[in-house]
Amino acid sequence: MEKSRAAKEGKIWAIGGGKGGTGKTFVTSAMGTYLAAKGKRVVLIDIDIGGANLHSFFGINRPKKSLTDFFEAGASLNKLAVKTGIDNMSLITGDIHSLASDSIKFTQKLKLFRHIMKLNEQYVIIDLGGGSHNNTIDTFLMADKMIVILEPEIPSIENVYHFIKNALFRKLRMSLREYGFKDIVEQMWERRKEYNIKSLRELMDCIRDSFSYVEDIIHKVLSDFNLYLILNKIRSSDDILIGSSMKSIFMKYLGVDTKFVGFVEYEDSVWRSIRERRPFMLNYSLSRSAREVEIFTENLLKGKEIKLSRN
Amino acid sequence: MPKKNLKKYFDILEIDSNASLSEIRNTYIRLKKLYSTDSMVITPIADEFSKKKRLAVLQQIEEAYTRLKEELKDERQKSTYFGKPGVASENSTEGEETESISFSGDVLRKIRERRRIHLHEVALDTKIRMEILENIEYERFDALPQEVYLRGHVSNYARYLLLDARKVADDYIRRYKTWKADAEEKV
Repeated sequence: MEKSRAAKEGKIWAIGGGKGGTGKTFVTSAMGTYLAAKGKRVVLIDIDIGGANLHSFFGINRPKKSLTDFFEAGASLNKLAVKTGIDNMSLITGDIHSLASDSIKFTQKLKLFRHIMKLNEQYVIIDLGGGSHNNTIDTFLMADKMIVILEPEIPSIENVYHFIKNALFRKLRMSLREYGFKDIVEQMWERRKEYNIKSLRELMDCIRDSFSYVEDIIHKVLSDFNLYLILNKIRSSDDILIGSSMKSIFMKYLGVDTKFVGFVEYEDSVWRSIRERRPFMLNYSLSRSAREVEIFTENLLKGKEIKLSRN
Repeated sequence: MPKKNLKKYFDILEIDSNASLSEIRNTYIRLKKLYSTDSMVITPIADEFSKKKRLAVLQQIEEAYTRLKEELKDERQKSTYFGKPGVASENSTEGEETESISFSGDVLRKIRERRRIHLHEVALDTKIRMEILENIEYERFDALPQEVYLRGHVSNYARYLLLDARKVADDYIRRYKTWKADAEEKV
């Protein structure tokens, strides 16, 4: 499949995580800037349905061309990319209207994915925005690195968990269908009372127990699920533990191995730099947050986890 | 080298099979706390996991820790066993606060490193800037702030390392003063 080829390069990164306001757009812009400054060719794609505003993190106006032109007029993605004011990095903006709810057909979506994979840049970073609509989840699943941004707050924890659960559930269904087991998941889920299934993990265990031959498929789904976790807006070092806890829960509840790659402290410099209409990583390049962005981006590149001195 | 059949216990504790005994212990404490209490992370998704399952997870964690502790006690105890700050274990402060030791920046750094604390974390919790902490550790006296501020910083840092803040600060400032007197003499 096309995906496995791209996965080796690991060039498509998607940033998601349910709730709005956790810092997905900030992380996308900062990460992109850092990679571009390292000399990598980067394109950012903003498909935040709730409000595409990645451009404002670079102090540029909303681009006139958007993915609408791709869907409606067949414009190539390269033509939609605008300059960000930073060398090596361009930006493609989504459009609130065309990407809303169900207006995009499944085939259109696949076409977009194909074109994204064919982009010539070394890194494609996609800002998914909030929500867990199927389009959002499918884009997330297409990425080589699926990155969630977690804020150490209860609503964010809940949202991130359910976002990942939905994504995994969808991936599982798609994979089983691909291998010809069309309705196993649906049937099992419908009869969940009978089997006493309360969670996705229990559902997976139950499918495993009932149909031993799908074991390999489930195993493959779980091992291909390249999930990365970034903790944003932490206010004390105790908050870092929440990242470790989340990682543990993904493993114990869903069977997903997550890489906890880093955190960013809550700092005024972030919103200040948006107001000043200057890219954060350039404007506050010496701030602690900037250093933290560097650390997790490097970890993402290397597929490594953050080193925590206190476990 | 760890035995093969221990792999599953390391997996349950979600750590590397070459983890030190103190890492194993800290992870055990952390996971046990996570799954036994209604923590901030568990509460919002409490419906996802039945209580029975949660207890089963706890039991696994307990078993994994007990087994690993037994198996690795002799192998890894040497030089790796230090409690984390705040849980100052009997071994962790031993020999660090005896009269004979002077609390130079170097000593502070060594104590910190032995406790496996990154300077970054110290900065985060004490609100002292990284550069200052670094300058304290390397005794770059000329780059350090005025004595009264310096005393505050050193005390905070020492407190963070669970040392006697006053003793450390007195000792450190004494060295600072000596340096200052020398420096002034030269001018």
